[in-house]
Amino acid sequence: MTDTSIIFEPLRLRTLEVKNRVFRSSLAGRFNNYDGTGTPTHVNWDLTFARGGVGAIISSNAPVHPRGLIVPNYAHIDRDETIPFWRELVQRVHEHDCKYIVQLAFSGRQRDLGGIQFEKGWSSTDKPEPIHGLQCERMTVAEIRQLVDAFAQGARRARAAGADGIEIHGCNGYLITQFLSPAINDRKDEYGGSPENRARFALEIVRAVRAEVGSDYHLQFKITAVDYGNDLFFWRPKGTGLAESIQVCKWLQEAGVDALHVSSGSSFPHPRNPAGDFPIEDVVRGYDTMISSGRHTFRNYLIFRTWPFNQLFRWLWRRPSRGRIEGINLADCRAVKAAVSIPVVCTGGFQTASVVADAIARGDCDGVTIGRPLIANPNLVELWRAGHDRPPRPCTYSNKCLINQLENPLGCYEESRFDSREEMVREILSVFDPPQFV
Amino acid sequence: MANRVFRSSVSGRFDGYEGSGTQTRINWEVRFARAGVGAIISSWCGVDRRGYIVPGYAGIDRDNQVPFWRELARRVHEIGSKYIVQLAHGGRQRDIGGIEFRAGLSSTGKRDPLNGFPAEQASPEQLAAVVRAFADGAARARDAGLDGIEIHGANGYLFTQFLSSATNERRDEYGGPLENRARLLLDTVRAVRQRVGEDFHVQVKISVTERGNAFLPWLRRGNTVDDSTRVCRWLEEAGADAIHVSAGNTFPHPLNPAGGLPLKEVWKNYDGLISSGSTVFRNYLLYRTPLVNRIMQWRWERPAGEVEGANLADSRAIKQAVSIPVLCTGGFQTASVVRAAIEGGDCDAVTIARPLIANPDLLELWRTGHDRPPRPCSYCNKCLFNLLESPLGCYDERRYGSREEMLAEIYAVFDPPPF
Repeated sequence: MTDTSIIFEPLRLRTLEVKNRVFRSSLAGRFNNYDGTGTPTHVNWDLTFARGGVGAIISSNAPVHPRGLIVPNYAHIDRDETIPFWRELVQRVHEHDCKYIVQLAFSGRQRDLGGIQFEKGWSSTDKPEPIHGLQCERMTVAEIRQLVDAFAQGARRARAAGADGIEIHGCNGYLITQFLSPAINDRKDEYGGSPENRARFALEIVRAVRAEVGSDYHLQFKITAVDYGNDLFFWRPKGTGLAESIQVCKWLQEAGVDALHVSSGSSFPHPRNPAGDFPIEDVVRGYDTMISSGRHTFRNYLIFRTWPFNQLFRWLWRRPSRGRIEGINLADCRAVKAAVSIPVVCTGGFQTASVVADAIARGDCDGVTIGRPLIANPNLVELWRAGHDRPPRPCTYSNKCLINQLENPLGCYEESRFDSREEMVREILSVFDPPQFV
Repeated sequence: MANRVFRSSVSGRFDGYEGSGTQTRINWEVRFARAGVGAIISSWCGVDRRGYIVPGYAGIDRDNQVPFWRELARRVHEIGSKYIVQLAHGGRQRDIGGIEFRAGLSSTGKRDPLNGFPAEQASPEQLAAVVRAFADGAARARDAGLDGIEIHGANGYLFTQFLSSATNERRDEYGGPLENRARLLLDTVRAVRQRVGEDFHVQVKISVTERGNAFLPWLRRGNTVDDSTRVCRWLEEAGADAIHVSAGNTFPHPLNPAGGLPLKEVWKNYDGLISSGSTVFRNYLLYRTPLVNRIMQWRWERPAGEVEGANLADSRAIKQAVSIPVLCTGGFQTASVVRAAIEGGDCDAVTIARPLIANPDLLELWRTGHDRPPRPCSYCNKCLFNLLESPLGCYDERRYGSREEMLAEIYAVFDPPPF
């Protein structure tokens, strides 16, 4: 059996030591208030993972500006009044010897439910997002500068709240991808065109954040190594390739980034992230609420509810990840790691100790970040420590968690993992315990 | 009570998915207490998880919710209002059933005719459990220091599904003649009274006129004023302290909340209900189809007539039949209309929802000499349709200087935040 002890060795980042090699990746449920103020439910949620033994938690997608939300009810970090919530959350997580990293984010045109404040998202372009047909406005240079500052202010708030670091969400089709990707960015100014120009926005954010929080604060950047823009629809452009991303990563390191977080895909969701199934029944139940969001959502809804179109879509969805969900990004990650000298963490369905230990030992990455398998088994790290190579009831990558989170509390909705539906529902609703008033 | 105005039940998805109350809900209620209403009737409050109508409303179905209600009562009392919690069970009329129960309990196993929400016919044992759930909820309300309870027997929820001759097709002791159809509600009132004692306020809300065919003309009419008058007499005998008069055997219904059918809001928010009922998708398509949706809008808006005080005639009939106080709901926002209704013996007090969302300071405006607020509620019903996806508030942009001003007022409910 593989020696998995390397997983439990500390990860030394420039300004931060994490007790092991496992990060909870960013996971967002609609647990907060509509205006982005945080709630005790969100604290309960994150504590589940701190108790489960991960070394660090990367927060849910935290918008740095109210226009940057993906859906209402995620915790924002867009104004100073949000700091007390983050402070409480960080303090509670620290009680479990777990680090807390706030993910600073801005959705751009990729907004599932835009909310009542801003009818359109901001983007590098004014072309609608292609899957749902979500509308957007092209940002002016003044608006870009305003947002660069919003990221810096978000970082300041994270530090003021006592968080151990921040992650700039530069991937998965959100705003920074919308600048980085040649498949999306159609600007003719200094923020579009050449790789240097498309990376300008990301690098300006990194420098502004660094200037705001100082040199002694952990700053990591999450990047899509390869866009795979044509994975689902073969007629669409591929987008950013590995060679260009590696160049961007080198620039990011020069600009002051302490670590990289490797993901993939030019959209969210994407067949490679979160890689796995397309649960039709859950999609039909959960996607209806998005019909009013975009130009293509009604068409998509009809596809999702109609055989055989839904099965065809499912086949297209599952094709790119067939047979290699766990560690799907390791090859890309290895290439990035070989090109930079800062630590690199990798996401992608990890739940087998030997796979993780081998990846670290081989030099593919320095640590892993885990989303869905930790929803299924919040005590995954403890299970590994107790000698399980894989949890007895592993995550099935059914993606039901993802699809349900728009209308229902985030949790594992894979009934086959539970003895009964009641047991599953009980586990899902346990996030509300304790309630706000006790 | 300090005056004759109740804030009627208005909900808003401000709470935990599983019915735990939040700071936001307290902010919401405190707003109306500050505005000086004599009493607040809570949001729609489930006594049983299976009876919830939408996730995100605070419930009173388990003991760990009591601290929330206690804190809410304390805050409202501090300001000087009374607080009455509305105990409710949705039956089959659940807009979004949530992840726990696929079908609602009802008098019938037939789906709801408008949206096709699934139903399971309740057995006598299940009904006995419902009665116990109401008694338990009432006991928790009393334990939390609240001033009374309202049993929600109106607007198409579980009790209406039993009371209504248009819905109830049972052949057992809960169906058939009115005495049988009223059994569940009367058993509940007696059980609640027995549990909370004589010195606790118990009122019952009832749809006096059902008009089941107001929107879809091929449906049955349901109960009339005469039927409801008899029910109210029985309620008084069973121990009710007051009757709250409403209308319509569904919610929403053209008579309640009477007014507009704002098509844009409907199709922006109704999409989220598609997976809730078997005919929602069909309805959604109709609401989006030009001309057809105008006809639907006309069907919806036609029965209401004058919105303000539309239920006063019904209320008068009930008041003449019982000796307990009668409260009446229905778009009240004109001081002289309310005074005339009370002085004329139509009702003892009014309950107000939408006009108070539009003007939480309505009483202050009346007191300072306005007969009607300068920016009255337009009965556009945008508040109602937005609440499924967005925070409850007034969405009638015409009432504000700008959209930003409207949004600032809607978002004010989140201040202060929990941390």
